[in-house]
Amino acid sequence: ICDYSVVPLSSFAVCIKCLGFDLSVFSEPLPLAPESLEVSVNSTHQCLHLQWSVHNLTYHQELKMVFQIEISRIKTSNVIWVENYSTTVKWNQVLRWSWESKLPLECAKHFVRMRSVVDDAQIPEPKFWGDWTSWEEVDVRRSLGPDPLFVFPKDKLVEEGSNVTVCYVSRSHQNNISCYLEGILMHGEQLDPNVRVFHVNNVPFIRETGTNIYCKMHQGDVIKGIILFVSKVFEEPKDFSCETRDLKTLNCTWDPGNDTGLLTQLTPSYTLLESFSGKKAICTHKTWCNWQVAPDSQEMYNFTLTAGNDLRKRSVHLLFNLTHRVHPLAPFNVVFKNVSTTNATMAWRIHSVGNYSTLLCQVEVCGEGKVIQKQNVSVKVNGEHLVKNLEPYTEYAAQVRCAYASHFWRWSEWTRHNFTTAEAAPSEAPDVWRNVKSMQGHCVVTLFWKPLSKLQANGKILFYNVVLEHLDGPSTLKLLSIPAPANGTELILDQCSYEIHVTANNSVGSSPASVIMVSRDPGSKDVGEERVKGTKRGFALSWKPQPRGVTGYVVEWCQCPGDPLCDLRWKSLGPNATSTLVSSDAFTPGVRYNFRIYAISTERIPYLLERKTGYSQELAPSDNPQVLTSNLTASSFTLSWKDYPAESQPGFVQGYSLYLKSKAPQCLPGSEKAVLPDNSVCCKYKIDNPKQKTFVVENLQPASFYEFFLTPYTSVGEGPLGAFTKVTTPDEYSHILIRILLPMIFSILLIMILCYLKSQWMKEKCYPDIPDPYKSSVLSLIKSKENPRLTIMNVKDCVPDAIEVVNKQEGTRKSLTDTEPAKHSYLYVLPTEKRYPGPGPCICFENFTYNQAALDSAACGHVPAPSEAQPNQLGLVTSSEHVLKALGKNYVNSLGEIPAGETNLNYVSQLASPLCGDQSSLPTNPPEPVLCSEYKMQMAIPVGLASPPSIPLLEEGEH
Amino acid sequence: PAEPISQAYSLALYMQKNTSTLLQTYLQYQGSPFSDPGFSAPELQLSSLPPATVSFKTWHALDDGERLGHAQGAFLALTQHLQLVGDDQRDLNPGSPILLAQLGAARLRAQGLLGNMAAIMTALGLPIPPEEDTLGVVAFGASAFERKCRGYVVTREYGHWTDRAVRDLSLLKAKYPG
Repeated sequence: ICDYSVVPLSSFAVCIKCLGFDLSVFSEPLPLAPESLEVSVNSTHQCLHLQWSVHNLTYHQELKMVFQIEISRIKTSNVIWVENYSTTVKWNQVLRWSWESKLPLECAKHFVRMRSVVDDAQIPEPKFWGDWTSWEEVDVRRSLGPDPLFVFPKDKLVEEGSNVTVCYVSRSHQNNISCYLEGILMHGEQLDPNVRVFHVNNVPFIRETGTNIYCKMHQGDVIKGIILFVSKVFEEPKDFSCETRDLKTLNCTWDPGNDTGLLTQLTPSYTLLESFSGKKAICTHKTWCNWQVAPDSQEMYNFTLTAGNDLRKRSVHLLFNLTHRVHPLAPFNVVFKNVSTTNATMAWRIHSVGNYSTLLCQVEVCGEGKVIQKQNVSVKVNGEHLVKNLEPYTEYAAQVRCAYASHFWRWSEWTRHNFTTAEAAPSEAPDVWRNVKSMQGHCVVTLFWKPLSKLQANGKILFYNVVLEHLDGPSTLKLLSIPAPANGTELILDQCSYEIHVTANNSVGSSPASVIMVSRDPGSKDVGEERVKGTKRGFALSWKPQPRGVTGYVVEWCQCPGDPLCDLRWKSLGPNATSTLVSSDAFTPGVRYNFRIYAISTERIPYLLERKTGYSQELAPSDNPQVLTSNLTASSFTLSWKDYPAESQPGFVQGYSLYLKSKAPQCLPGSEKAVLPDNSVCCKYKIDNPKQKTFVVENLQPASFYEFFLTPYTSVGEGPLGAFTKVTTPDEYSHILIRILLPMIFSILLIMILCYLKSQWMKEKCYPDIPDPYKSSVLSLIKSKENPRLTIMNVKDCVPDAIEVVNKQEGTRKSLTDTEPAKHSYLYVLPTEKRYPGPGPCICFENFTYNQAALDSAACGHVPAPSEAQPNQLGLVTSSEHVLKALGKNYVNSLGEIPAGETNLNYVSQLASPLCGDQSSLPTNPPEPVLCSEYKMQMAIPVGLASPPSIPLLEEGEH
Repeated sequence: PAEPISQAYSLALYMQKNTSTLLQTYLQYQGSPFSDPGFSAPELQLSSLPPATVSFKTWHALDDGERLGHAQGAFLALTQHLQLVGDDQRDLNPGSPILLAQLGAARLRAQGLLGNMAAIMTALGLPIPPEEDTLGVVAFGASAFERKCRGYVVTREYGHWTDRAVRDLSLLKAKYPG
């Protein structure tokens, strides 16, 4: 960092002194001592720069001298550095020497002195040191400002891992100062009362903006600090290499390695030095540099790449022969000439490298991503190469690269070009298969063929020719041309005996014909079906070899068995084949595939040989049968699932499982305990025969509740768990009970209906409202025992004039009656209350004047009064109070049965108008009939007038 | 003068919201001891930047011309110092666009406030002091650490002077109601 160079002063044109003077020098040593010593300070780099001169040298004299330099710190006796500096001294030259101090120069006073000795062969022995110069004092602190505290060195740039000395200088003797490196307290040593020194060893890289070191004076809270810019170690350039592409320019490249990590300050420089020519190039890029090759045919080159920054210089060397580092440019103008079906000529040009040079070129031909041909060709200017053994109508990629032939260094980049060979006629007959159907006397032949592979087609297939040759009749030919990319056609033929030739055609020609016979009888003999087990790889099918007359076999199947279009596939096999593996990615698990194996006879007529069916992977049944229950008895029931399509299940149904749940702890014979996926326990019947579609569950308990569930199973497992069906077995005797109970209930109902319909008649017969006295048995008794004169009074003979009314008031039964006058003057002439349906406490008023005998016979009073009559009579007796009062008590004849105090007896005239009196209260407050009263006509009035239903007004009171 | 006072007051209030963020962002990028929690060095001052601290009595007794003159002088110095700090940080922390943007924004706001104050002074009929170079020639010799310290003082004083400007303008606002 410090500048060590010695700069010669400008020489002066002074006369050459004679040699004699020089001799005198040798004879007597002159005092050759350093003089005019000056010391200056570079604070940034912490360098002391010394400059001095040596007097007493003659003109043009050059002497080797050694200068001993002593540096002391703090005081002159404390020498910290002694160095002998040897150099050749010229006349009038100013000598310079620099020294970098580990301790910042501001931290302490420094003293410098030197002495010298001549160390030259011209000067004979003995050599002795001259006198020391006087001490030169260097004290930077004097120039510091008035601040109380300083920290040094300022903004120093160091490499990671180096050792740094830091110091602070304080103006006072107060030592209450702490110093920190990024917040961590540092421990130092006191250099003098005002200076403390800290040695920071192995400085770390902390951040790209530098490391803070600061000191804090606790008195006055002064903070002073410095920033140490720590760089990562500058790396040596790696992979230094030079090459030329045209023998005119050398291009040197290298990897500069990792960055120094600092954001500023360090920009590396790169220089290239060639030692043979002594030329130098300053590189402007960090990773490469160009060097112009001189036209003087320099062969050997010795390069030194020097990389450096402020802290470090790094060099790498490279020695090489120019012609050994030739990296040709990529070939150009690549073309293909004379392209045929199998050959092509590739031509290209190269960039010349010097004069008369030869390049080695490499040609590669790739087909479908693979290198199929590789060839080396020697080229001067134009390269040419014949590419052979190609396939017709195929696209190829060809590429070429070149290297310097005399000394291989590196291949050029590839230059690529694609070409396609010419078409040729298809090489193989198409694989043809047919499907024959009879329809309305015609023969519908569907032909299928597979497209030829690229290798077989040898070009773009344009159309297929189908030639039909009729065999039965006169030989006629019919040609059909079907454009590509059709893969089949349908022919409707009159008859079924045809020979069909199919060829594929491209622009060049026709393929060999594929011949197939369509016979009248397709040979569909009854062939049994055999099950075959598929795997993930496909179906391994085998068949019995046919003894003779077979030209091949065809395996045919539908790729989409459920689809009406079927997607017919076939596989053609040779006559010796007895087995094949039908593999396809499209085989779906759980789909049943049917395979038909045909043998092709020598007449090219296919006939069905075997049928196979199977699954590539069997699955558990996808659905469960719909089960019907029948024949339910007390101990059994029958299940049937005749409609279940076992054929369309995703596996061969091997049988059925019947699960039965009941309250019985033990399973019935024929079943065993099983645990369902939902962890419920039930009994399981196994039906091993997949064709069995009915099942009788027996030995059941009468009047018990059962649940059952039926599911099929394949080799994989059972169908999905579904809902259980509930069944309850009937009671053993219930049917007998039903036979007796039902008719009984029916007859009772019938009687009840009859009774209801004839109720009126019954009433008339059994309990009429008004009994007929003539029918009374009493009459006959009277007649026979007593007075034979006694007769029943004819109503017609009576003339009524008065009425006797009996009123028995209870009045407490209904609140409505409370609103009535408590002892009202109405006369209740009412039949006996319902509570007393019999001949209760009835009161009878009778005009004895008319017929005493009738009274005696007690014909009244015990006749029950039907309740229906009540409202009618109520209406009849309605009359005003005064009318009632007017009637005297004389007419009242109290009977013994009537409780005293409960009865008011009034007489209402039979002639009194029924409309007279307070009628308005009647409909709203119909008095409860509380007593049985009887009114007997005192005079004969027409029945129609007295009969209750004739007064409609009274109906209201009833409701 | 109510309108320019009101405008200046609004701007000062807005500036006040961002001053502490600026100081915190600044310190965060400088490393220890600046980025240490609770860092404060009130004794650090810049001779070229007038301190905002003043006794309340003195402050209250200032007449309009003195009050606005002090603020005007301070914010003039602050705009120049913020420019200096921005340049320093572009050198010391080139990889911190957030800090550089905040310093730039603070300088523009200080310039805006200067303009507003000039408008108030014109409205009050006060003479506008001429623009001076407050930095002088001392700016370039500073070491990296000194430049970090300088930036700290400037961003800190920017906050103090903004606080004081809010008080100044609040007082003027009360004195010259619209």
